[in-house]
Amino acid sequence: MDNNDLVLKAENLRVSFRTLTGKVQAVRGVSLELHKGETIAIVGESGSGKSVTVKTIMGILTKNAIIEEGSIMYEGQDLTKMDEANFHEIRGKKIGLIFQDPLSSLNPLMTIGRQISEVLTIGKGMDKESAKARALELMGQVGIPDPEVRYNQYPFQFSGGMRQRIVIAIALANDPDVLICDEPTTALDVTVQAMILELINKIKAERNISVIFITHDLGVVANMADRVYVMYAGKIVEYGTTNDIFFDPRHPYTWALLGSMPDMETEGRLAAIPGTPPNMLTPPVGDAFAARNEYALAIDLKYQPPFFKVSDTHYAATWLLHPLAPKVPVPEGLQKRIERMLREEAEYNASAGQ
Amino acid sequence: MAKYIFQRILAAILTLFVILTIAFCVVRLMPGSVFDDPDLSDSVKKVLEERAHLDKPIFVQYLYFLKGVVTENDWGTSVKLSPGMPAFQVIVQKIPVTMALNFISLLIAVPFGALFGILAAMKNKTKVDTAISVGVILGISIPSFVFATCLQYFLAYKFGWFPILYQPTATTAVKVSSMVLPIFALALSPIATITRYLRGELIEVLNSDFMVLAKTKGLNQFQATVRHALRNAAMPLVSIILHMFAGVVGGSLVIERMFSIPGVGGLMIKSINALDHSLTVAVLIFYAMISVATALIVDLTYGVVDPRVRMGGKKDE
Repeated sequence: MDNNDLVLKAENLRVSFRTLTGKVQAVRGVSLELHKGETIAIVGESGSGKSVTVKTIMGILTKNAIIEEGSIMYEGQDLTKMDEANFHEIRGKKIGLIFQDPLSSLNPLMTIGRQISEVLTIGKGMDKESAKARALELMGQVGIPDPEVRYNQYPFQFSGGMRQRIVIAIALANDPDVLICDEPTTALDVTVQAMILELINKIKAERNISVIFITHDLGVVANMADRVYVMYAGKIVEYGTTNDIFFDPRHPYTWALLGSMPDMETEGRLAAIPGTPPNMLTPPVGDAFAARNEYALAIDLKYQPPFFKVSDTHYAATWLLHPLAPKVPVPEGLQKRIERMLREEAEYNASAGQ
Repeated sequence: MAKYIFQRILAAILTLFVILTIAFCVVRLMPGSVFDDPDLSDSVKKVLEERAHLDKPIFVQYLYFLKGVVTENDWGTSVKLSPGMPAFQVIVQKIPVTMALNFISLLIAVPFGALFGILAAMKNKTKVDTAISVGVILGISIPSFVFATCLQYFLAYKFGWFPILYQPTATTAVKVSSMVLPIFALALSPIATITRYLRGELIEVLNSDFMVLAKTKGLNQFQATVRHALRNAAMPLVSIILHMFAGVVGGSLVIERMFSIPGVGGLMIKSINALDHSLTVAVLIFYAMISVATALIVDLTYGVVDPRVRMGGKKDE
């Protein structure tokens, strides 16, 4: 990956929230890169700062949020320093967002059609006729049957999956370069989930846009992403290509995440990560995952680990990768699964090659 | 929609019937009779009572009353205040001044309340918001008669800007200026109520998911507020404003008296004191009709504004 096709680059981003009990440090020094036409996934459990990171990119943080440090470079401009008057030229128009909850993100008192077409009339200055035609076209593209009828209906007449398609159509109406999907399928059932993911992949391929995909579902990540960022307690703990993360995970938190994902061969009790994430009012001094980590070293409690290079594309922030650290192998169950996955992959590739 | 309207109207008629029954019973159960006059001989009194069916049990009286209402639209006759005049006709004479007072004060309250409410919501958690909120608390907690007294004392008596009492017979200019204080006194509480509700609703709507979506669509704050927030915030306001109308009419009962405005409120108090029962019942029903009518209008406007109500939750998927 060279740097010429870099679309968006966040560097050392720190975001806190002022609350009555003190400052909650939601994002603590996140750096990430998004290249043209690629999908990156940000994975992590609830409260790890995934959503806050993308909200910062979209400029839709709540009023009590403070961007303490860092930059988000997009087309040569720093989004963290941009004022509201200029930001709405980028928000929606260049960077689109698909929400977590399609049920409450549509205006209940406005017809579906107008909610899509207003993007075009206001944002792109289209006249009403052509905006309507374009909206109908978009509704068809996201798989709404009978767009002509649906155009004049209200959100309450749509099911959850249909509403999510509308939200996607709204995001696409502006033809954004970057599409951010913040857990777009969490509120939907599994069959609808698969359709929506397929739809996002199709759109991405057709328009060659870049996608930031946020999820806590590793199964979804494997299907969607080119590269994966694993986030924990406001920090990126490991990142690499999807193959790096699934076949050669290095951070104990990534091990734990992968280990707690069920698959067809899982026997006995599913492994869960013990404990809960730390309170971000007073984040731990050392590695935030140390308290829940069975492989924690003494140094983990005192110093935060830097990123250690595994390969050109793969980095992990754990002291286990330090040359002086004891060699800790990947947990046995996970290792077996990785071997099985590699074998299946090889078989699949072989059959595909014939 | 037709079914919805029919249901609402039927409910309104039933409500009115219940109120009518209670009003009739309560008033008739009050001790004393308009014919308890020492100047009347017993035989004359007996004839009069017989003619008004007052010698019969209350249930029979009620049936006579109902029969009059349903068959001849006869709501009883005033006996004392305007002898021989149908009760509703007495009220009709007093309606214009009462309605003018109430409508104008509400008409003034809506734009002011909306203005303050939007201002407070947009400037949430600033000094502007705090100042407006303090004003709202004062406006809601000060009873209109206390406020009216202050207005009369300062603006009318001390500064002499307005007449203290209503001047029905004076020139138009004086008459209008004598209406200013009562209207102002009546409008205070509605202004505060509208401000409070609109501020609350708007703050909530401004923080809703669809407002975030509106922003991520590329609308700026102003476009998003006008297109998506105001209508959603105004929804509950529709019902509040109309219900408030019923409240204002009730409040004007006292205000009319303080400014000696010859309206329906004064009529009610006089008719009770004069034991003119038919008139009291008619006035009560007049007030009830206003309340029921506003409630009906609220329900119907909801249907117009909110598609979910209009379609009766009908989904076609």
